[in-house]
Amino acid sequence: MKRESFVLIGALLLGAPLVAQGHPLTVTGVRGLTYGTVLPGVARIILRTDPANSGQFDIRGPNRSQVLLSFVLPAAMVGPSGALMPLSFGAGDAGYSQSQLIGSQVGFDPSQPFTATLSNNGRGSVFVGGRANPATNQRAGGYTATLTLNVTVLP
Amino acid sequence: MRTIARLTLVVAALVVTSTIAQAQTNNASITATATVQTPINVAAAQQLSFGNVFPGVNKTVAAPDLTNAGRFDVTGQAGAPVTLSFTLPATLSSGSNTMPIDSYAGVRADNSSQTSGIGFVPGASNPATLSATGLLFIWVGARVTPATNQAQGTYTGSITMTVVY
Repeated sequence: MKRESFVLIGALLLGAPLVAQGHPLTVTGVRGLTYGTVLPGVARIILRTDPANSGQFDIRGPNRSQVLLSFVLPAAMVGPSGALMPLSFGAGDAGYSQSQLIGSQVGFDPSQPFTATLSNNGRGSVFVGGRANPATNQRAGGYTATLTLNVTVLP
Repeated sequence: MRTIARLTLVVAALVVTSTIAQAQTNNASITATATVQTPINVAAAQQLSFGNVFPGVNKTVAAPDLTNAGRFDVTGQAGAPVTLSFTLPATLSSGSNTMPIDSYAGVRADNSSQTSGIGFVPGASNPATLSATGLLFIWVGARVTPATNQAQGTYTGSITMTVVY
């Protein structure tokens, strides 16, 4: 029984560091990408550094692990009666921050996969901006679209 | 001994689980949103009319003249700031004959009776704001200066107002 206890304690001690390093991967949508009020024919650009309107995802995973980030980006937002408002995303419209600070980002193209490294405590944030391009005859009303961030922990 | 074997399996399972956790994938979504304001619309509601004029006698139609001043009606997003820009002719034409027109003046108001109207000089960039119901009324007046030998006829010209948010 004594020997069994030692084995159990040993197992727990062995397992503890593994569990501590291995936070389960979680991705959370923290803030939506908000274009606010737009005018027909007037494009609206939201910078990834915009603290109020840029989109934000928080990532939690294994400490210092490399992760592959890839977006599923909509081509347009959908509005009243199915009206569409085109969206476009440029090469620097996404940013990754290991410190999770919006002022400390490494920019990347959200239309391309990007490899990032989580922090020592397994955290990171992704910020995203973009451009809405309402037509001159854009139908008035509310428009929405969904942006999805896929995160894969690399081996 | 049996218990030890069982514990060993548990440890192995822990290690395997940890290894599997390294190769995981997850995702989340956010929503992009925008609200489009009502498109702006401009209608030519009334012509600027000088009526009969006589050679050598200038005639002015004041912007507050509800009957003869030209009027544009604008509809759009309630309370939205807009910029008005005017293309104003320097002459009216009747065939090959021309008659000078100048001294343009404008009034803008939230209503068609010019209550609380604001005077302005029409130009390339005039700021204005649509009313709480998304309306704006613009009147334009001017002066014609027929020459003493002004040829008889009906003289016309086009005044264009462009409105942008």
